[in-house]
Amino acid sequence: MKINTQRLIGISIFSLLLASCGSEEPAMPELSFEESLQEQLIKAQPGDVINIPAGTHQMTRSLSLNVPGVTIRGEGMDTSILSFKNQIQGAEGLLVSADDFVIEDLAIEDTVGDALKINESTNVVIRRVRTEWTAGPLTTNGAYGIYPVQTENVLIDGSVAIGASDAGIYVGQSTQIVVRNSRAEYNVAGIEIENSTFADVHDNIATNNTGGILVFDLPNLPVQGGRNTRVFDNEIFNNNTENFAPEGNIVGSVPAGTGLMVLANDSIEVFGNNFADNQTAHALVVSYLINEIPYDDPNYDPFPESIYIHDNQFSNGGQNPDSEPLNMLKEATGQAIPDIVWDGMVVPGKQPEEILCIANNGGASFVNLDAANGFAEPSFDSSVHQCSLPSLSVISLSSASQ
Amino acid sequence: MRTHHMRLPVLAGALLILIAACSEPAPIFHESERPLRLSDWQLFDLSTEELTPSEASLVLHPSNQLFTDYAHKMRTLWIPQGLQAELVDEEIQYPVGTVISKTFYYPRNGQGQLVKVTDPGNEHIALGDHQLLETRLLVHRQNGWDAFPYVWNEEQTEAFLRVAGTSTSVSLQTENEDLDFMYFVPNENQCSGCHTTDHPDGEMKPLGIIASQLSSPISDARGDFGIQTSTILEKGWLNAQPADQGTISWRDESASLEDRALAYLNIHCAHCHNPEGAADTSGLFLDGSSDIDVSMGLCKPPVAAGGGAGDLQYSIVPSDPDHSILVYRMESSKPDEMMPELGRSLIHTEGVALIRQWISSMSGSC
Repeated sequence: MKINTQRLIGISIFSLLLASCGSEEPAMPELSFEESLQEQLIKAQPGDVINIPAGTHQMTRSLSLNVPGVTIRGEGMDTSILSFKNQIQGAEGLLVSADDFVIEDLAIEDTVGDALKINESTNVVIRRVRTEWTAGPLTTNGAYGIYPVQTENVLIDGSVAIGASDAGIYVGQSTQIVVRNSRAEYNVAGIEIENSTFADVHDNIATNNTGGILVFDLPNLPVQGGRNTRVFDNEIFNNNTENFAPEGNIVGSVPAGTGLMVLANDSIEVFGNNFADNQTAHALVVSYLINEIPYDDPNYDPFPESIYIHDNQFSNGGQNPDSEPLNMLKEATGQAIPDIVWDGMVVPGKQPEEILCIANNGGASFVNLDAANGFAEPSFDSSVHQCSLPSLSVISLSSASQ
Repeated sequence: MRTHHMRLPVLAGALLILIAACSEPAPIFHESERPLRLSDWQLFDLSTEELTPSEASLVLHPSNQLFTDYAHKMRTLWIPQGLQAELVDEEIQYPVGTVISKTFYYPRNGQGQLVKVTDPGNEHIALGDHQLLETRLLVHRQNGWDAFPYVWNEEQTEAFLRVAGTSTSVSLQTENEDLDFMYFVPNENQCSGCHTTDHPDGEMKPLGIIASQLSSPISDARGDFGIQTSTILEKGWLNAQPADQGTISWRDESASLEDRALAYLNIHCAHCHNPEGAADTSGLFLDGSSDIDVSMGLCKPPVAAGGGAGDLQYSIVPSDPDHSILVYRMESSKPDEMMPELGRSLIHTEGVALIRQWISSMSGSC
């Protein structure tokens, strides 16, 4: 008996000591839906599908994904909603830096900054995703809705972008891009392809934006030399929303009523589009110099070249230009601003027809603004631009992105 | 009786062993798992009075550190026995098994209120008059560095791994007012958001416990800590002293304004704003590698700043901090405008003052 008692005492002292060493268990914290979702995104393995159930899920912090080969899948862009109305941290809703990424069938709403940013990734599919600021076009809305930057092989299909204070669908510094079957509405720029190469933008609807579709190339960026973009079979109409971009941003200089603006890009083919009711002008082709923003970049080419606009339909545009020189032009002529507007600035050593060719646009009107000479002698004669350029090739994304 | 006598010494011996195991645990390197508790790493001795780094660790004080809402930070370095870091191209290459920790905490005053005071560089933390928030680990494993954010419970008895980070509201008393804000613990992706300076293909790496931040004699408002690489060298954990003099502290008022400003921008911005970093999309590089020209923001228009541009035209307008986007974003605490994007909810008044002074001192215009 005595021995047993001794043992018991010994064991209990042992247990006490063990307890004081740390086996006393403080309670583990419980995770919210938001924290579990972020934890899933961090712990994901290539091949994983992360499901976003139906419902409106309130998020307070940016979500992020760095694991390649992951699919984020909701139950529909009006069903599975990540709402960032109460966001208190992070410059975007979802930030992805991961190859072979698919996101589909969900919505990202009311983020404080960009909604869906995809940075430096290859093979990206964004399908049936909606990004929206639900209070309408406000300067305080985030800058970009769907925002792949420095990406390669990116497909944006069947998506919707509403209310961005910069661009609804913005593809920047990227290559091999398809934006199709999507709708951009009430953004400053509906769809913008910037400092990018090899893009097809087709079968989209761009309406009620400040500018419908922009194809830009800007200086002082690590990736520049924007070229080879086809803009075709889009409906580009009624893009007359007052510019609500914060000042200082390049899209802040886009006049309300712009259908399409090509700025400083080369080899752009615009065809089969239906332009209607864009009250500054349907299609503008301009150099960076038109903005009169000085720049310091010896590698930058500010002039557009090889722009081919053909087989488009234009109706009822240019009635109410939101641009000082265009307004003066309208007053001087008593006519609406022509359908196709070129600033007239030519790369030194080139001919006008190397800048812009126009064909088969059903009697579309044209103006060369003579911007280089302070808009002194605008010309409405398009005969020198009656030419054609070889069609650009179809963008065919690698099978991984289809 | 005989048995009885035999057993007592055995028991005493067992007791001694256990007590020893409790008071001086050696840190443990976990090669692959994600331990749920900070105590699983045995980096600290935690009593009811104090959090003390294991005697096997070094407490280090880099020249510069990221502003984190005036939280104090205690950093430790531990390298497993028998291993040594190597100096390669003037950078410290830590061996696999290295564990770096950073504990964030605030001091309390007599009434228990958290207070803003200059971080004195404590090498242990008295729990009676300090509140522990979180301890972040950077662990060098076979495949590179991994980051683990551990969040302290209210009782200050354990910190738990919070892969997805967390947030907690803090009220901080300053000379003039109480600052009420949300303190954020980063999630693991946010850890790598800063610690992966070569984006996206690079590896995570330390930002503070590096040669340039450890090889300059520190003597500023925090105290006098000497050359930190010498301390590592003496411990036998480093094979050579860096030849280059490290970065000065931005708090060092004996240094030139420009050097102080560059040191400040480097530690707060350069992890993203460098030519390979996550913010290279902006074309703004604040790592000090280039001259003070357009790539450093001089008369540089914003690219995708959105509201972060604050209706201003250029990142830096010489002699005009009020019209410099750099200052605007440092003075903002809106999540979509503020810079750095992570690591703070408050405005770093002292840092803003330095950058304002530097821009004011520039000549020229845009």
